[in-house]
Amino acid sequence: MQDNAPNPRVLLTKSFIDSHDRAIATIALALRDAAMEVVLIDYEQPEDVVTVALQEDVDIIGLSFMSGGQVETTQKIVAELKRRGVDDLPLVVGGVIRPFDVPPLEEAGVREIFRGGAPLADVVATFQRLAKAYRGYA
Amino acid sequence: MAVRGQVNGCRTLGVTGPPGAGKSSLINALVQEMLPHYPRTAILTVDPSSPISGGAVLGDRVRMAEHSANPNVFIRSLATRGHLGGVTRMTRSVMDLLAAGDMDLVIVETVGTGQSEVEVAELTNVKIVVNAPGLGDEMQAIKAGVLEIADILVVNKSDLPDAARTAAHLNAMLHHRGHDEHRSVVCVSTVTRDGLKALADAIEIKFAQLAADSTLAVPRTASARLLLARAVADRAEDMIARTVDPRIDVLVEDIAAGLLSRQDGARTAIGLLGELRPVSNARD
Ligand SMILES: Nc1nc2c(ncn2[C@@H]2O[C@H](COP(=O)(O)OP(=O)(O)OP(=O)(O)O)[C@@H](O)[C@H]2O)c(=O)[nH]1
Ligand SMILES: [Mg+2]
Repeated sequence: MQDNAPNPRVLLTKSFIDSHDRAIATIALALRDAAMEVVLIDYEQPEDVVTVALQEDVDIIGLSFMSGGQVETTQKIVAELKRRGVDDLPLVVGGVIRPFDVPPLEEAGVREIFRGGAPLADVVATFQRLAKAYRGYA
Repeated sequence: MAVRGQVNGCRTLGVTGPPGAGKSSLINALVQEMLPHYPRTAILTVDPSSPISGGAVLGDRVRMAEHSANPNVFIRSLATRGHLGGVTRMTRSVMDLLAAGDMDLVIVETVGTGQSEVEVAELTNVKIVVNAPGLGDEMQAIKAGVLEIADILVVNKSDLPDAARTAAHLNAMLHHRGHDEHRSVVCVSTVTRDGLKALADAIEIKFAQLAADSTLAVPRTASARLLLARAVADRAEDMIARTVDPRIDVLVEDIAAGLLSRQDGARTAIGLLGELRPVSNARD
């Protein structure tokens, strides 16, 4: 069957304080190779992520954490998504996610948590699936 | 959708130049300088789509983080989606919408320029071409085509030791063009912020000249024929690339086998265009 869905647009982001961009670059290239358009930013305030997601009309947001702030930052972004009426925009997180981060992240409504070691192909497939579902193409 | 005629004071600025010259960094720094005069500013940044997958990594915005929190600065990253010329097929339409949406200033960053990526010249009132020391061969590209479209030539990274040489080189190039060459080279650094005020002033002077010469302020009517031609070419390309039609397949096979010239194939294909049913999955 012909797939008529447009290519997903993805926002991949990390804090500007976080200097590790290796992981994000790897994911970005894998998503590009799967025909997605990937917007990159380093946010200063968590709320900025939502502003950028709206300006860029993305179908999914991926947050990368290499140091701290996993739960607190994610909660702030979720709250801002709600405030601006786009709480159904899927949010996934990855990077350094410690066991005790998982329950509050799930509680916040994060759609997928990538802890180190997930095969890249699975990560790409998850982005693909969530993005298309959000656009109503799944 | 037809949105036209809202030229009402919306200024447009094109920023082009070789990869890594500092176009994104410069726009970021320049916007800070220009915001007092243009409170509602939009920035369109263009990066290439992968010709293989069709995907893209759009990274220009990383350099513009300080404006993310300002609700009056709208930034949108665009992928070329196969369009040549340094911008995207939809750039003009997006610009028209932004102008209609009461933006005071729209800035377009093209993909790093080669020689033919000068389409931004038709899209924007004022064009700046950004250079930087240490880009070596890129200077060839500047000579070949982009120099022609520049209203203002910029040497960025003037904090680096070789910047003066790059500027001298560009000035010499301009000098060789003869007496009616009035352009000059502006040196800036986004790191030290040297020269940014001078650049903003130079842009302002160009905008003011446009306002005085109303035929220049409205490049859109003048180039409407060209835009139509380009849109037709884009559409034709889509039809040929996406249509499943045996008559096109025959042409393709004959060209591949060397039995038919591309020109003859194109003539036949144009005759068929009206009858083709494209499979549409474009997101533009
Ligand atoms: N030393 C110095 N480096 C600069 C300056 N401006 C930008 N850079 C650096 O130059 C590199 C490229 O900057 P960008 O702004 O991404 O360049 P660009 O022209 O937008 O690049 P593309 O969009 O990839 O073509 C970055 O590492 C910047 O930090 C400057 O004034 N001085
Ligand atoms: Mg750039």
